[in-house]
Amino acid sequence: MSARYHRLHFNELNPYQQLGLRRFNFRLMARLIGMMLIYMAMSMTLPLAVSLYTHDGAQFALAFSAVIVLMLGLFLRNFAGRRAEYELKENESYWITLTVWLAIPFCGTLPYLFTGGLASFTDAVFESFSGFTTTGSSVVTHPEELPEGLLVYRALTQWVGGLGLLLFVVAMLRKLTNGAGRLYEAEFSGTLQRKLHPRLSRSVSRMWAIYLLITLVMIVALLLCRTPLADALCLAFSTVSTGGFVTHSDGVSILSGGGLAVVTLFMFLSGINVAILYRFFTLRWRHIGQDEELHTYLIIFFLSAFVSALCFHTVGDDWFHAIHYSLFHIASTMSTCGFYIPKPDNWSFLVSVMTFVLIIMGASAGSTGGGIKLKRIIILMKYVSNYFTRMMHPNAVFRVKVNGEPIDSDYINKIFAFVFLYIAFIVGGAFVLTLCGCSIPDAICMAAANISNLGPSPLINNLGGSLDYALLPALAKWTLTLLMLAGRLELFALIAILSPAYWRRG
Amino acid sequence: MLMVEGTLILSCLIPAIHFADGTVLPITLSGLFTFCVGLLLLVRYRRANRSADKRTSYLLVVTMWVVLPIFGALPFLATGVLHSFSDALFESISGITSTGATVFSAVEWLPSSILLWRSMAQWFGGFGIVLLVLALVPSMGINKYSLYTAEASGADNTGKQTTTMSSSIQQTLGIYLLLTTAFVLALWKSGMHVWDAVNITFTSISSGGFSIYNNSLERLTHGQQYITALAMLLSGINFAMLYNFFTLRWDRLHKKLDQLTFYLIIYLVAATFVTLALRFKMGYDWSNSLRCGIVQTISVLTTTGALAADTQQWWVPITFLFVVLSLCGGMAGATTGGLKAMRVLILVRNVRKILRDKLHPHAVNPVRLNHKPVSPDIITNVMVIFLVYAIVIFIGIMLLMLSGINATESIGAVIACITSYGPGLGLSGGFGCYADFTVPAKLICSFLMILGRLECLTVLIIFTPAFWRK
Repeated sequence: MSARYHRLHFNELNPYQQLGLRRFNFRLMARLIGMMLIYMAMSMTLPLAVSLYTHDGAQFALAFSAVIVLMLGLFLRNFAGRRAEYELKENESYWITLTVWLAIPFCGTLPYLFTGGLASFTDAVFESFSGFTTTGSSVVTHPEELPEGLLVYRALTQWVGGLGLLLFVVAMLRKLTNGAGRLYEAEFSGTLQRKLHPRLSRSVSRMWAIYLLITLVMIVALLLCRTPLADALCLAFSTVSTGGFVTHSDGVSILSGGGLAVVTLFMFLSGINVAILYRFFTLRWRHIGQDEELHTYLIIFFLSAFVSALCFHTVGDDWFHAIHYSLFHIASTMSTCGFYIPKPDNWSFLVSVMTFVLIIMGASAGSTGGGIKLKRIIILMKYVSNYFTRMMHPNAVFRVKVNGEPIDSDYINKIFAFVFLYIAFIVGGAFVLTLCGCSIPDAICMAAANISNLGPSPLINNLGGSLDYALLPALAKWTLTLLMLAGRLELFALIAILSPAYWRRG
Repeated sequence: MLMVEGTLILSCLIPAIHFADGTVLPITLSGLFTFCVGLLLLVRYRRANRSADKRTSYLLVVTMWVVLPIFGALPFLATGVLHSFSDALFESISGITSTGATVFSAVEWLPSSILLWRSMAQWFGGFGIVLLVLALVPSMGINKYSLYTAEASGADNTGKQTTTMSSSIQQTLGIYLLLTTAFVLALWKSGMHVWDAVNITFTSISSGGFSIYNNSLERLTHGQQYITALAMLLSGINFAMLYNFFTLRWDRLHKKLDQLTFYLIIYLVAATFVTLALRFKMGYDWSNSLRCGIVQTISVLTTTGALAADTQQWWVPITFLFVVLSLCGGMAGATTGGLKAMRVLILVRNVRKILRDKLHPHAVNPVRLNHKPVSPDIITNVMVIFLVYAIVIFIGIMLLMLSGINATESIGAVIACITSYGPGLGLSGGFGCYADFTVPAKLICSFLMILGRLECLTVLIIFTPAFWRK
């Protein structure tokens, strides 16, 4: 790339190159964002329909923002993005990923602003990013006061963001053969998963199909438990995408016992790799039985549920409630969904620390959940335990294998670096939060909960903090917003853009 | 193998005897007892095989850092200043690992011999860790300490570590003694009592942090505090570099400045932040905020733990910054604890390398240190240490919380102990002490101090099945 440009005379270079900057495929970027916006406008018709049906007063605001988004999308797609080259270079994929992840949530603030549901622009940005990154941290203390259409819209943003915004484009844009894989990687960086189908677009379509199916099943299940339609829609969107927005200030406690069980089950499912769910539903169970990540997920899930049930039991809950609550809590934490049933008393410290660890570990790779991802944790643990053996036997050769496939050392190095960055981000974020007046444990928990896209957690409440993000100052909200985005894009896409090396030509 | 240990115990009591002349009988007794045990072991195992294999050397190191403090606890018990064994052990481990966490809420009433013993333990422990690193490099095998050899060996890196070993020990000892003498003199010249000067120098040059005053450094004049700060700053610098610097071999230095620069940059940035925060958030006047910023930041970064003011009263972000700084620590091959600046530097550069790999997949992008590529083995070693460190901190916090200490204090205490910084957050922070911790909590903290001082892996490997398998 560089060699080609160096031969050109200075005057022949375009302005970016003259400044020593790289040339970007802006047209393709505009086209992608435009398409995303058009789809987004289309998706807004659902909340609009709910709004029209319930006459909640948000119809015009929603319709208006949908139209604006549509116009913007059409402009970008047909005008700014016309004659785009459908070719992506490695380093452009990061840029596009980040731009899409900035543009869409920013456009997504429109409904909040137009309905006047949120007080300030900062709040709207926070809420919108929290939605699209499936974090579920909310500045709305009493969601039931918002118009129902807006609630559905809010939950829908999570659902759209659940599988990743670009994954949608990849599925739709068959022409983008060259860069699709890179976009996919930039968004799901380094999860190294086996594709469902040799053709990326086909496997992505399958993922979306399974996602849609699970959502529909969940809506029906919730309706069967006599949940009102709007609540069922919202909660299903929040659960399946592991978001965590709720429709009522009492959270999911408004549900019946059966409804809670449904939510628990689907939280548990959404912490699992979508590819495995696909195989499960297409009855190819043989592969599933061998998947180490699934094993680990199950072991950790039931073990920690058991331990926390034990803890709750020892402080006076009867077994039924203790187990019920533990299952719900652990499923919510591991899938980084972030629903909670208020239970401020009798938390053992063991449960607190365990919760914190689970928050950081997060869900399976390839699921909608956040966190470091179990697959990485497995590889690291295997590597570290090998390392101890290697200290004793320096000349022995060890390979880390997951699912029988050897993992090469470059990849392990990347994971180590990822974990280092993750911790560095949490520490850095927590530092800014302490500047805003949070205590140290609160700051660390909040930073961890948001970078893992968990959102609210009873953990924060139990350490003396507040779940009410509304009370935080603007700086804290922006920091948390950045952390959510960083966590969702798995850090590297964000870091790459921020590094000077990226902007240098050639 | 026990010969080494015996010798070390033997030298451990020289100070005990040295200062005990006539002051207190119990100290003489405990000194003599230690001496006798050391001698006994020495005589008994005189014919032991001198060469140690890998397993033995790991065991040796860990035993050494467990046995020495147990004997070091004797003076506290014998003089009756501490009544419970766990307290004495805590204080002793804190001394020998040069952590500086104390169970005494007030130290000024202690007999002067005990004060000197605390300082002496730190001084000894501080040197011990550098010595350990140097002496055991060859037998440790697998790049465990190759980080140090890369920087610490005074000679050129021609792989002749074994031949230069004794000379590097001499160099280090020389520098250590020289610095100690220089700073005792400097403090004495600045108007301090000799006895105070000795104590304060011992604890700052070893990056320990025990104090002979209740309010640590705050008692000293500003000039004396700046001198102490300089002592701490130097204690955070690699000894081989100091040696080359003082012997005017600057040509060897200028090729190896990466780590030093990084260390100084961190220090300057943090000190600026602290100074400004103290000035504008805490309402200190300029002279005080500058003094506290300069002195306290270096005390934290080198994990010394001497206090220029009651940091517990400070703004929360500053205390949080301190936690992070102590995790970072000074340079490798110095007396400080923490992760060491070099490891942090490698971690950061590795992230940069990975970014470059992603942007230019076909280019070769090595992690460079001092303009030389770092071998992947070292990078993995650093990564593993970092990860194990993080896990140990988690587990430590969990255990402390289980023993009934609240979240802030657990975080503070665990990090203070594992980095060998000393003062934690909350009760144990600032001018406070660890006296209110329960017995299990104290034992956990003591274990963490040893773990942190020996960089986790050395201790933890003993608990792995692979270690005991034939």
